[in-house]
Amino acid sequence: MTSGQSYWQIVWKQFRKNPFSVGSLWVLAVLFLIAIFAPVLACNIPFYYHDERGTAWPWFRALFNPEETVDYWFNLAMVAFFPWLIGVVIHALRYRRRYPEKLLPVGKYAAVYALAILGLGGIFMIPGVRPDNRYRARTFPEEEFARQGTARAVYPLIPFGPTEQDMDSPVKPPFYRKPRFTTNPNTGEQVLFWRKSNDGFPHILGTDDVGRDVLVRMIYGLRISLTVGFVAVGIYMVIGIVLGAIAGYYGGFVDILISRIIEVIMLFPAFFLILTLVGLLGQSIYIIMVVIGLTGWPTVARLIRGEVLKQRNLDYVAAARATGATNLRVLFWHVLPNSLSPAMVAAPFGIAGAIITEAGLSLLGFGVRLPAPSWGLLLRQGSENYHYWWLVVFPSLAMFITVTAFNLVGNGLRDAMDPRLRI
Amino acid sequence: MWSYIVRRLLLMIPTLFGITVVSFCIMQLAPGDPLLMQLGATGLAGQTTQTREAYLIQKRDLKLDRPLLLNFRYFRDYSQAVYWAGYYRVASQSQIAAELAVLAHDPTRLPNGHERLAFLRSLGIPRFRARLEDPAEHARLAQAVAAYVQVFCEDLGHHGVPFAVRLLESPDVDRQVKIGLIHALNSMVVEPFVFTYSARPREEETPYVVGAWRLWWKRTESTTRPLSSTERAELESRFHALCQMSQTQLLEELDYLDPQTVRFFAEKLLGDSTLREKFVASLALRRLVREPLRLDVPADAPESLVEEVAENWIAHYELYRQRYEPPFLLRVAYVFTDTQYAHMVWRLVTFQFGRSATKTREPVATKIWNAVIVSAPLMLMAELVTYLIAIPAGIIAAVKRNTLTDRAISLTLFLLYSIPSFVAAMLLLLFFCYGDYLKWFPMIGLHSQGAENFSWPRYLLDYLWHAFLPVMCLSLFSLAGLAMYARTSMLEVISQDYIRTARAKGLSEFTVIFKHALRNALIPILTLFSSFLPALLGGSVLVEYIFGIHGMGRLSWESIEQKDYPTLMALIYIDAIIVLLSILLTDILYVLVDPRITFSAQGEEK
Repeated sequence: MTSGQSYWQIVWKQFRKNPFSVGSLWVLAVLFLIAIFAPVLACNIPFYYHDERGTAWPWFRALFNPEETVDYWFNLAMVAFFPWLIGVVIHALRYRRRYPEKLLPVGKYAAVYALAILGLGGIFMIPGVRPDNRYRARTFPEEEFARQGTARAVYPLIPFGPTEQDMDSPVKPPFYRKPRFTTNPNTGEQVLFWRKSNDGFPHILGTDDVGRDVLVRMIYGLRISLTVGFVAVGIYMVIGIVLGAIAGYYGGFVDILISRIIEVIMLFPAFFLILTLVGLLGQSIYIIMVVIGLTGWPTVARLIRGEVLKQRNLDYVAAARATGATNLRVLFWHVLPNSLSPAMVAAPFGIAGAIITEAGLSLLGFGVRLPAPSWGLLLRQGSENYHYWWLVVFPSLAMFITVTAFNLVGNGLRDAMDPRLRI
Repeated sequence: MWSYIVRRLLLMIPTLFGITVVSFCIMQLAPGDPLLMQLGATGLAGQTTQTREAYLIQKRDLKLDRPLLLNFRYFRDYSQAVYWAGYYRVASQSQIAAELAVLAHDPTRLPNGHERLAFLRSLGIPRFRARLEDPAEHARLAQAVAAYVQVFCEDLGHHGVPFAVRLLESPDVDRQVKIGLIHALNSMVVEPFVFTYSARPREEETPYVVGAWRLWWKRTESTTRPLSSTERAELESRFHALCQMSQTQLLEELDYLDPQTVRFFAEKLLGDSTLREKFVASLALRRLVREPLRLDVPADAPESLVEEVAENWIAHYELYRQRYEPPFLLRVAYVFTDTQYAHMVWRLVTFQFGRSATKTREPVATKIWNAVIVSAPLMLMAELVTYLIAIPAGIIAAVKRNTLTDRAISLTLFLLYSIPSFVAAMLLLLFFCYGDYLKWFPMIGLHSQGAENFSWPRYLLDYLWHAFLPVMCLSLFSLAGLAMYARTSMLEVISQDYIRTARAKGLSEFTVIFKHALRNALIPILTLFSSFLPALLGGSVLVEYIFGIHGMGRLSWESIEQKDYPTLMALIYIDAIIVLLSILLTDILYVLVDPRITFSAQGEEK
């Protein structure tokens, strides 16, 4: 037996040569951690709350009862993260020792994580199991909070919620901190201005027009952006790969039909088609994901079709047939895994594109609805008055970083997978 | 070559057909009635007469009252449904409620109980069955029946007219039902009689106009005063003058007519006269006679009035018989051609996009043209800027391959590629237009206020000043792609043998690159030309939205927002045609530029 390198080992070796791509993988990892651990970084519900009535752990209950469904899954990902990480580390160490020349089964790790999240989600869907949450928003007044000597609470790093409004401090610039006292315009006397217990904390990136903290909204917006990117691209990769493979492998009438459908959908300008569908079908993050998924597949299908057309005449296919494999088995077991690379290259670019599309839709008012946090909505609020520059600059920056990271990964993957392009 | 082009053009037909099907399906999928939305209503039942009429006229105008794909309405027998529509149209609500109570209990106790029940079910009242079984609901259900019967008649449209007229003619139909049928007819037909010609009179309209007035004249001839010969002569000269006048003059002059002279005009119209004379006479009569033919009756009308109005409707049916009961073959054809889909396809194929479905009812073609002349120059400039920057950049990067210059160019372009155009637009606006930092460029629009009065150099400068930032944003995205493309194709060419030969000959590097390599490197860039025209006419929704430019992108956004289907369909269709044509054009250009490629080879492959 020869100990040759597997395809993915070659790709990884090539990929590692590009410092920008490796760097952006790290950036993406950090972004994912921020998205997963958003409630630890920023949330207006205390971890621990104690007064004379007793002790409560509202944050832990709120994890399973968030306002957004997207948050529900990300919170489960957070719950599952450390057990998964420990398992992965143990497995990886043993795997390394046993097969030092092999790559770690990263795909399997990801699949296990996804299954863990889905499993947890399933368990907590059962009404009795999910803890109910009575602490949706914090409503204890500051005075009461101060007067009750026994009351104390421990908050996450930034004690603001993504949809928590504060009409006392609308559109405040970065690092605005609410003054403790304010003057009553009628009587001239000093009044306590801090009404809620998080009022003393500075808004690091400012607030929007109803006093929601921009940084917190950006952190939670990252969750929506990543979800839209991954789910939409997941949908269109599956559709594109299956249809493209069938068209390329079977040829004939099926090929003509699928190619014509591809042509028809590609004739519509992509953003216009998405805008039409979202505008006509209604606005919700799920519709956006599905619509991007349903309109993006022709590109993938074309790539896969071309690759399958090339592969199906190779010797190994004939060999597989000779062993008596059925058409379906040959296609999905032998041909398809060898034809995936162009689609894999398209995926990171697709994710970046989907994130941009979602933000663009929200900017036009066709996307996610207020008060859900989305970078596009922040831009929309900023576009109403450019005086509030922090509503434009910071989401732009966040989008630029995310999109660039995905694009760089895609670029590195393309260079690694396709030696012809490395001229 | 020609056979290839023809074949490609023929292949476009199924593709375009597919596009119409897809867009038609999308629009059917969309919830909500776009016409109702414009009227600001959620349901038709219980709206004012004016709202309903506006809705109906628009609906029939846009052919939205037709079935979607197949129209069997001309083959259906609606006599039962029309009878019951007439019946319930005039029945009082307490009476309906009482009947509902009986129907819920035992339908056979009422004459034709099952028929009634079937009709009431077909009205589409929400939760009809459950409400029927609940006695407490009967009063409200009766109210709903009254409202929905009206909607039923309106939806039935002219298909119900023959059946209603036949019922009006038959002697054993109750007077009350006849009144109801007349009400129903009034909902089915918006304007039964045409009393005047359209602004540009046509000969085909004559039978209808004359027919309507003849019916009126038959009723009123005995009551009008005969004219003396002097009067007649005077009127004759006046009428002659009227016929010579222009439209506006004529309309003014008609206000001064004497009501006593109707006989003269009636004789003119019904007698032997030219089209112009008939036109003027019909206008005059319309001015003089307030209500020539009664078409509606109050609920408690006496027998004679009902008879008179019924006679009018029968006459109407006779006059328009061709429309109501077309010959058999035509009916078969209507199954396929008189549907929403067929009408839409026909409008698109003949490029008659009609009027938009917005409140202004602007013609779609005008709307699109106004948008194109705004966004096309912008996009043209953007494309030019892209090509002028990207191709040199790509070539420089290729020639100085793997040097610092190459890396710098590639990285810069890559970063530019990662900035979404709308983010770039907002940041540029923030830094260069909003007064807090630099106020170099205007915020919104493409012209300053009062730009119409500028001299043309100033107008042009003003335009360029406004267009600078939008053009920058529009060219940003395609810049990187194009430059990378140029770089790759240039690298491929440089590594060819003939370039080595050229260098070996001792040609200068400049000659090698610009004379030998560049020409061949530009051929693959032709592929991108296929996106040139579509982009030119497509515009960009987001950039136009941010810069407040009313171009194509903005138009498509607005028509989606307002559910303006005619405009939307036209936009999709025009865009598809342009994309298909520019792909074909690119292929032809390829063959013309590169002798290695021929049509026959491509033809064989297909």
